[in-house]
Amino acid sequence: MSKAKPKVVIVPCSGIGKPYGTVSREAAYIVTEELRPDQTQLVPLSLLVLGDAHARAAITENVAVTINGCKLACSTKMVQESGGTISEDVSVLDVFRQHRELKPLGIAVLNSEGLKLASVIGEDIARRVDELMADAADSSRPRKGASKHA
Amino acid sequence: MPEFLEVAIDKFTFRVASDRLYTEEGVWAKMEANGVRVGLSDFLQQRSGDIAFVEVKPVGAHLKTDEEIATIETVKVNVSLGSPLAGRVAETNPLMRSAPEEINEDPYGEGWLAIIEASDWSTDQGRLLNPKAYLSAVKRLAGKEASEP
Repeated sequence: MSKAKPKVVIVPCSGIGKPYGTVSREAAYIVTEELRPDQTQLVPLSLLVLGDAHARAAITENVAVTINGCKLACSTKMVQESGGTISEDVSVLDVFRQHRELKPLGIAVLNSEGLKLASVIGEDIARRVDELMADAADSSRPRKGASKHA
Repeated sequence: MPEFLEVAIDKFTFRVASDRLYTEEGVWAKMEANGVRVGLSDFLQQRSGDIAFVEVKPVGAHLKTDEEIATIETVKVNVSLGSPLAGRVAETNPLMRSAPEEINEDPYGEGWLAIIEASDWSTDQGRLLNPKAYLSAVKRLAGKEASEP
């Protein structure tokens, strides 16, 4: 049986009831469902909080990108507590500071600016995923002149 | 480092620096050698939320008491802040452009807004709240908000 192909795990914050939390989740859906479905895996923060074995395994066996809606940085803290390695820690607020015109409003349903902000974040993360996958491919490729036998 | 008065309400703890004066809305004023430094109280920054942008009146601007000295845009609200004193803006904090989150992280230190050359400090300071009085105002406001459904 072949070993499962490594993926980049995307962990958005829960942020229920806050527009910036909703943006973090929308960005995660954009990456995992639209932009890089084959290279990424969404891990819900709630499963990590509950100690779900599959979620924890996904975290410890792959690199993670965390997305936080506020400075409490719950997804970052939970991935760290679960023994994961974070390759990119995205703050929705920091991205908004670079795109002031994209003020997110709404909770259950984001306004168009909030959805655009989520797209910007999703695209940034997709680029980071590409870099990580390229790095992983490079490190697993045999080096020129290297022998299989010592 | 200033000393602090503290009050814990619900899951929040609010600190009031004991070396300065306050407006009821939570703007502090501290007399220093080169003017009166102003900023946001810990309660006001926590109540307002994570700060995204701050715009402070430019150096040279003349302000009347209570006239807008700055606006802040947070994840929750846009707030117009009234000046605790009349005078001329002598200096603004450059971090407000590059790192406005300093207000959230260090409201009584690095997160200051501006230094104002007071035109009538003796009058203005008389209408500001001392730390104990402001702490009472915080207790009243935070307690009211905590009891709201």
